[in-house]
Amino acid sequence: MADDKDVLRDVWFGRIPTCFTLNQDEVTEREAEPYYLLLPRVSYLTLVTDKVKKHFLKVMRAEDVEEMWFEYEGTPLKWHYPIGVLFDLHASNNVLPWSITVHFKNFPEHDLLHCPSNSVIEAHFMSSIKEADALKHKSQVVNDMQKKDHKQLWMGLQNDKFDQFWAMNRKLMEYPTEEGGFRYIPFRIYQTMSDRPFIQKLFRPTSPEGNAHTLGDLLKEMYPDALTNDGKSPHKGTRWVNTLRHSSYPTAYLSVISFGDGRK
Amino acid sequence: MSWFELNEEKFHHCCQLILQQSEQLSDGWIWEVVQGSKEGYLRKTALRSVTIDSKSVQKQKGSSLDPEPHTSYHSSVEQQGQEDEQPDCIKDDIDDEDAGICMMTANSSQVLQFEYHILYSCSYSSPVLYFRAFTLEGRSLTLEEVWNSVHPNFRLCLQNSPLDTITQQEHPLLGQPFFVLHPCRTKDFMRPVLQAAQDQHRPVNYVLSWLSVVGPVVGLDVPLKYSTQLHPAASLSSTEPD
Repeated sequence: MADDKDVLRDVWFGRIPTCFTLNQDEVTEREAEPYYLLLPRVSYLTLVTDKVKKHFLKVMRAEDVEEMWFEYEGTPLKWHYPIGVLFDLHASNNVLPWSITVHFKNFPEHDLLHCPSNSVIEAHFMSSIKEADALKHKSQVVNDMQKKDHKQLWMGLQNDKFDQFWAMNRKLMEYPTEEGGFRYIPFRIYQTMSDRPFIQKLFRPTSPEGNAHTLGDLLKEMYPDALTNDGKSPHKGTRWVNTLRHSSYPTAYLSVISFGDGRK
Repeated sequence: MSWFELNEEKFHHCCQLILQQSEQLSDGWIWEVVQGSKEGYLRKTALRSVTIDSKSVQKQKGSSLDPEPHTSYHSSVEQQGQEDEQPDCIKDDIDDEDAGICMMTANSSQVLQFEYHILYSCSYSSPVLYFRAFTLEGRSLTLEEVWNSVHPNFRLCLQNSPLDTITQQEHPLLGQPFFVLHPCRTKDFMRPVLQAAQDQHRPVNYVLSWLSVVGPVVGLDVPLKYSTQLHPAASLSSTEPD
């Protein structure tokens, strides 16, 4: 893995230039200037927007402020998806910066999970790590870790510390050589044209004949009818092991975005 | 696939048996199909009169003792109903100022509408219980309110576990916020149940046995009749080891 560090770094430090604008219907004491931020693709919206909140609260009265949430062109943004997934899913065809609208009232209860504190994000993050490890190693690696190891993963993400995160995450990405791969590949195919948020199934890294599966194999099996596009665009012939190790989000899920409108 | 694991096919089979029995017992379970796929889930709605244990509300919120214990939980919920859009954190503040004083009062009860979904998780090879709850006015319960509706005996056990067992998560088939009982320990408590059944050559419906363990935590009781009188022959078929 040491040789791959450049790729890991490039993925980790991917940024999306974003312009946050206050929703027009919010009551303010004076005009709110937009706020610009480089968002880390691998993180969560509610984890990296403290500054955005502070900026807009300066022009608002406390009694007009409820839980903050984000919207892009009429779609509430699910904070529990990695930022890179949200961008690829909703906005990748548009010009930069990504223009996000900030709301402080009318929280969309039927669309978004509440995010009252960072501990909720941490619980969500750990739950994703655990689920991915259930697929990769029958939960053995994550269960063998100590509480402080879990904390290290989370603190690495929270504080944007690449080395801290990967020192621990590499354990979750390893497997015994004789087994030749993970039990199953943790992946999610996100869909733009469906109520169902994503597809997630069991998929082995190798075929019964022992050949390494590729990304193209997965798409063929899971989603034979639709044209697909991957957020990070690895070649479809890329072997799974490398794709997963390099490109998965810190939640350990490889995320593939599927556009129902035939875009490629 | 080990005998202790539930694959998707077996899950569907168990659900079919539950549906047959539910129909005879008029227990209200139905099968919802997800559009454009073979997948689906068991669904049931129920009205429940929930008793709120107020002492633990206090413990959870960690607020100081308040000298004016008048308002009941019930009226507190009505009050919150008018502030439907308030996020949890703000609600807490409001509660503490006026309605939240209820924490000191005696237990009270109110009628809530619960909606339960049983889904299959391929990651954990196990069933997962999703649910949401509304007041009769249609307001969704917050996570905190859901915790308060859990029987105190269960609540203490669950909250002392390292991972908070009830969390709000996205329903993987509907994309909407639901509460969920986390499935990562399911195999631990199912193993002895299945082992005993296997040793004694008793029939067992994995999903039914599992539901009888996790359901009562969130007020979903499984009538004993499911396991006794109905179709012993039919339920036998679900015991075949893979």
